[in-house]
Amino acid sequence: MTVARTLVREKNDVTIVDTDSYLLQEISGRLDLRTVQGNAAHPDILKQAGAEDADMIIAATTSDEVNMIACQVAYTLYHTPTKIARIRAQVYLREGKLYANESIPIDHIISPEQLITEHVFRLIEYPGSLQVIDFAKGRVRLVGVRADRNGSLVGSTISCLSQRPSLDTRVAAIYRQGQAIVPTGDTTIQANDEVFFITSRQDTLTVMEEIRGISKPSKRIMIAGGGNIGRSVAKVLESRYRVKLIEKSPDRSFTLAESLNRTLVLKGDATDRELLIEEGIDNVDVFCALTNDDEDNILCAMLAKRLGAGKVISLIARPAYVDLIQKDIIDIAVSPQQVTTSALLTHIRRGDVVAVHSLRHGAAEAIEAIAHGDYRTSKVVGRCINELSLPSGASIGALVRDEQVLIAHGNIKIEEGDHVIIFLTDKNKVPQVEKLFQVGVAFI
Amino acid sequence: MYQISSLTTEQSVHCKQQYSSKKRVLEAISELLAEGQKRLSPNKIFEILLNRERLGSTALGKGIALPHGRIENIEKPIIAILTLENGVDFEAPDEQPVDIIFALLVPIECNEKHLQLLAALASLFNESDFREKIRGASEPIDIIKTLESADKIDTN
Repeated sequence: MTVARTLVREKNDVTIVDTDSYLLQEISGRLDLRTVQGNAAHPDILKQAGAEDADMIIAATTSDEVNMIACQVAYTLYHTPTKIARIRAQVYLREGKLYANESIPIDHIISPEQLITEHVFRLIEYPGSLQVIDFAKGRVRLVGVRADRNGSLVGSTISCLSQRPSLDTRVAAIYRQGQAIVPTGDTTIQANDEVFFITSRQDTLTVMEEIRGISKPSKRIMIAGGGNIGRSVAKVLESRYRVKLIEKSPDRSFTLAESLNRTLVLKGDATDRELLIEEGIDNVDVFCALTNDDEDNILCAMLAKRLGAGKVISLIARPAYVDLIQKDIIDIAVSPQQVTTSALLTHIRRGDVVAVHSLRHGAAEAIEAIAHGDYRTSKVVGRCINELSLPSGASIGALVRDEQVLIAHGNIKIEEGDHVIIFLTDKNKVPQVEKLFQVGVAFI
Repeated sequence: MYQISSLTTEQSVHCKQQYSSKKRVLEAISELLAEGQKRLSPNKIFEILLNRERLGSTALGKGIALPHGRIENIEKPIIAILTLENGVDFEAPDEQPVDIIFALLVPIECNEKHLQLLAALASLFNESDFREKIRGASEPIDIIKTLESADKIDTN
């Protein structure tokens, strides 16, 4: 639904296929798109939905198998160019070899669990961050942090940051009381600003310290909910942190205890005050509410915070809740839709776009695009960064050339093959950035 | 310089066809490009044309598109031509629907000659006279003849 909204807004012709006619009615009432009722894997339904003309199929039903067959049918019968499928089961995800036009024709796999796990992992890896995004295979990071009085940079201008030769970074945007400010050298960073900066992986922590003071690294993590997400988060964390996981169901907690090596699995209710106190909630650095129930997550996160947990992260699926809750009580709300939408957007962007991340609940976007062509056929190659005609609110944060990270400075010339990382405070400007990176007709 | 008319055949030209999308146009033109070329598969060509379109549309404006790509197993360029009864959206710079599709495949080792060929095609379509002759043709032979006379003017 979120994806459909984005696609419609960007003037794509969208058809939604679903078995639930009531849901379809709801959607078509709200968005300008076509709906077809039926099984999305059936050839006749796909044809009816316009598969012969479609540039892309996104198979995101709740069944992995239906999604696979839908892609197979679309490719074999209708040559659908781009096929994206949501796949959940780990056993499928492990077998990368399965997915090729000759076998199961899926071009891109979206795994919400995996994406959310990575997202939560980064937030814990960098305590104090609101959002951490990898570009160019993790060589470059875009980090959002809230500025704090303890940061040595707070109260000084951005140009001070660039005067430290050891630190190469670029502040991409500042949000002050919800408003985007496009930073210049004279912009002063104030306490409580939400600052997005781009830097290399190695410098990430140092830059964060300059903006919000030293955050002590996390040690103790508590997870509420041992579903697929809770389990996989515990799995990636358990080798580096002390992890406790609370799971309601006795059966499930038994299997979890078997499959997790170092995590302490506790059977119980995470909204139970006594249990949290007993398990030392006041010593927990990060509490992650990861059940599949929004209300439970919000409740136990609030409780954990009140009982002294250092930072609380909560999974919240309903966008309305996300807007209501964040900031005051829950430190970070993670929206599964937003994380998944980002991954999908990557494949929808025109031009050679490697990664797209939607930020600030979808208002802003960060894009990694590859520059192609030469001075004649490209609008970016052979030009200096300050010569580019970027739309307002867009700024280039960094370039990755071969293995090397170049933090953007106006006089750097873009070369063919460079990965360019762009930050947009206004996602409506995305088409203009896409155009900039498209090659001319003369490019062979 | 290449004689444009020598790079195509009547079998690779279709006039006044009906297609409802860019995707179907590219599928159809891939078939035309593979016509008489035993070593080329339409699917492979389709994939190559699509990948090129992803980097940026090959539509010129004024209803013309020049989809192209590099491919293995050919010695000289191949051209296929498709004109449409009704234009389709091709993400053209002028946002006009495209009804003349001139597709070009060149060998993998793309060289200056190929770039010139593409440029020559683009400049031919700058002439409204040429555009209208191609657009108005109802038989492949008429298109081939138009190309032949364009080749003659060029060599003179």
